[in-house]
Amino acid sequence: MNPMALRVVLGIAIAGVPTLMAGTWVSGAGKRLARIESGELAAEDADDEGKVAVAAAADEGYCNGDLRKILRRVLKSCGLLGTGEVRGCQPVQAKSVATMTGDDFNALFLPLQKKAGIIQFDKDSAELDPADTALLDKIFAAQGGASYFFVVARSSPDGSTDHNRELSQKRADSVMAHLRKNFADPALDREVGLLWLGEEYAQLAQDFCAWDRSGGADKCKPKDINRSAFVAWIDCRL
Amino acid sequence: MSPQPMPGRIHVAILLLACLAGLVFASVSTFDFAQHLDRQEHQLHCSFIPGQHAEAAPGESLGCQVTMMSPYSSVLRAVVWGGVPVSLPAMGVFAFLAFRAIDLFGRRGRGRRSSAALLFACAWIPVIASAVMGAIALFELDAACKVCIGIYGSSLVTVLAAGLAFASLRRPTDDGGDEGPQPSAGAIWGLGLVQLGTFVAVPILAYVTLMPDYSRYVGTCGKLRDTQDPGGVMVALDANDGAPPAIEVFDPLCPACRGFDRRLAASGLDRKLHRLAVLFPLEEACNWMVEGAVHPGACTISEAILCASEGKGPSTKAVIDWAFEQQERIREAAKADPNAAKSLVVERFPELGACVGSAAIQQRLNRGLRWAVDHELPVLTPQLYVGGTKLCPEDTDLGLDYSLTRLLERRGGEP
Repeated sequence: MNPMALRVVLGIAIAGVPTLMAGTWVSGAGKRLARIESGELAAEDADDEGKVAVAAAADEGYCNGDLRKILRRVLKSCGLLGTGEVRGCQPVQAKSVATMTGDDFNALFLPLQKKAGIIQFDKDSAELDPADTALLDKIFAAQGGASYFFVVARSSPDGSTDHNRELSQKRADSVMAHLRKNFADPALDREVGLLWLGEEYAQLAQDFCAWDRSGGADKCKPKDINRSAFVAWIDCRL
Repeated sequence: MSPQPMPGRIHVAILLLACLAGLVFASVSTFDFAQHLDRQEHQLHCSFIPGQHAEAAPGESLGCQVTMMSPYSSVLRAVVWGGVPVSLPAMGVFAFLAFRAIDLFGRRGRGRRSSAALLFACAWIPVIASAVMGAIALFELDAACKVCIGIYGSSLVTVLAAGLAFASLRRPTDDGGDEGPQPSAGAIWGLGLVQLGTFVAVPILAYVTLMPDYSRYVGTCGKLRDTQDPGGVMVALDANDGAPPAIEVFDPLCPACRGFDRRLAASGLDRKLHRLAVLFPLEEACNWMVEGAVHPGACTISEAILCASEGKGPSTKAVIDWAFEQQERIREAAKADPNAAKSLVVERFPELGACVGSAAIQQRLNRGLRWAVDHELPVLTPQLYVGGTKLCPEDTDLGLDYSLTRLLERRGGEP
C-alpha cells in the first residue's frame, strides 16, 4: 500500500479509538437515562428522591393510639387544633374531654419526663422568678421535633376554688407571655396549649418531685408542687 | 545492503508505550466522567491499575471524586451538561502522539527529523496541561487522583522519550535518499497541527453531539410552597438583594455542601443569585430527623453561623468559610468529645462564645428544621431552590452550571 494511504488509514484508525470510545460511553449513558426515565431501570445510586426521608415532626414510641386519641381530643376541644388560636382549656373542659381520672391524666405525661419540667410559683403568685424562667427557657429551647408544648397550670387547694382557677390561669398566661416575649416563634400559637386546672383536677402527686423543677429541695410538699405550671414538649404527630 | 536501524528507535518505542499508557489513563478518567452523564452516582476507577474500582471510607471523598467533581475537571460547563471533560482532549492528544510515533518509524531523512521535532513539541502539551492540573489538584483541591497521576507520569515519560528521540535524530546519520522527495518541514508541521486538531476535535464533537437533552429536566424536581421566612430562619450569604432569591439548605460540616459551595463560586453564578441559607445540620443532637451524628459538631457550627448572622462578631461568611475549611478537624474532634465543636468555635471566634448554645439560638436553629418540615423537604443536603424552584439533586454537581443557568433563564433573569 502507498505509504501515504497507509498513514491516512492508520491515522483514521487511531483517531477513531477515542472518538468511538467517547461516543459509546455518552450514548450508553443516554440510553441508561432513557431507561431510568421509562422506569425500566431503577435510579438506584443517585436519584434517591423517592427513597430519601422527607422532613417530618418527631413521633416518639410513646405516642400510642390511646395517647394520640386523647391528645387529639384535648387539643381539639381546647381550641388548639384547627383554628390555631390559643384559647386554653379550663378545668371542667379538660376533665370532660379527657374522660379519665386525674391520676390517669397525669400518667399521660409520664413518658415526657426528658422534655418536661415543673415551674413552681410562690404562694398566691403568678410571677416567674429567674429560676423559673431559666428552666422554662431550657425546656422550651429543647423542642427538637416536638409539635406541641403543653402548659398545665395548677394551684394548691389553699383558698377558694374560683380564686385558684383564676390563679392557675394567670400562671399559664404568665408562662405564655414569657415565651412570646423571649422566643420570636411565629408558630407559637399553633404549638402551645394552655390548660389551667386550678385545684379541681389532676393534682400532681409527690412523685413529680423527682422531675426537673424550679423550686428548691425544700419545696416539694404536695401544696408546693401544685403551685405550678407543668410544661412539656410532646413528640407526637396528630 | 540492509537499511541502517533507525537511531532513537528505542526512545520512539518508549514514547509509543508512554502514549498508550497516557491514552489508557485518560480513557479511564473520561469513562468515569462520561458514565455520570446518566445523572446517577457511580464508582470511580481511582487506582493506578486501570479498571480497578476504589471505595472511599465513610465520610471521606476519594481524591478522584474530589477532582472529578471540582470545577476544573471539565470546560464549557454552562453550555454542555457537565462540560467537556479535560481528559477527553487528553485522549485525543495521546492518540495523536501515538500515531506520530508509529509514523516516525516509517519516515526517512529530513522528514524524520522534522517529524521528531513536531512530536517533541507536541509532547509538551500534555506535560504543560499536567503541570497546570497537578498544581490545581495539589494547591487548590488538596486532592491526589491516582488516574490523574497516571496521566501526569505518562506525559512526563512521553516528553522525555520524545526529546531523546529528537536528539538522536538531529544528526542526519541516515539520509534515506532512496525514498524520493521528502515533504518540507513546514508541510510536516502544518499537516501535524491539522492532525492534532482533528484528533482532539473529533472525539469532542462525538461526545457533545451524542449527549442527551438535559434541558428538559430543569425545573422538574419540585417547588417550595412559599419562600417566606416569618420565623427568621434564613441567613443571607451575600448582599445581592436585587438578584433572584436562592434558598440553600445545607449543613456546614457536609463535604457535599462544601463542594457545592465551591462549584457555585467557581461558576460565577453565585453573583447572579441572592443566596439565603437554611441550616440543616445532619446530627441527632439537634436534628431528630437523622439517626446518630452523620456530621458530628454540625449543630454547634450551625448555631455559630446563626449567631454570626445576628451581628455577634464575625461575618456569616467568615464562619461558614472557616467551617468548610476545618470540616474534617471539627468532625473528628466532635466525634471524640461532643463539646469540642464549641471549643473550636470559641478558640477561633471568642465573641460567639456566649451566643452558641444559648436557648434563643437553639430555638432559631430548631425553627429552621421545622421550616424544612413545613415545606416537606427531603432529608438531604445540599439543596438549592431558585425562586422556589428546586435545582434537581442530580444537577448539584457536574450539571450545576448548565442547569442553574437554564433555571435562571426560565425565571427571565439574565444568566
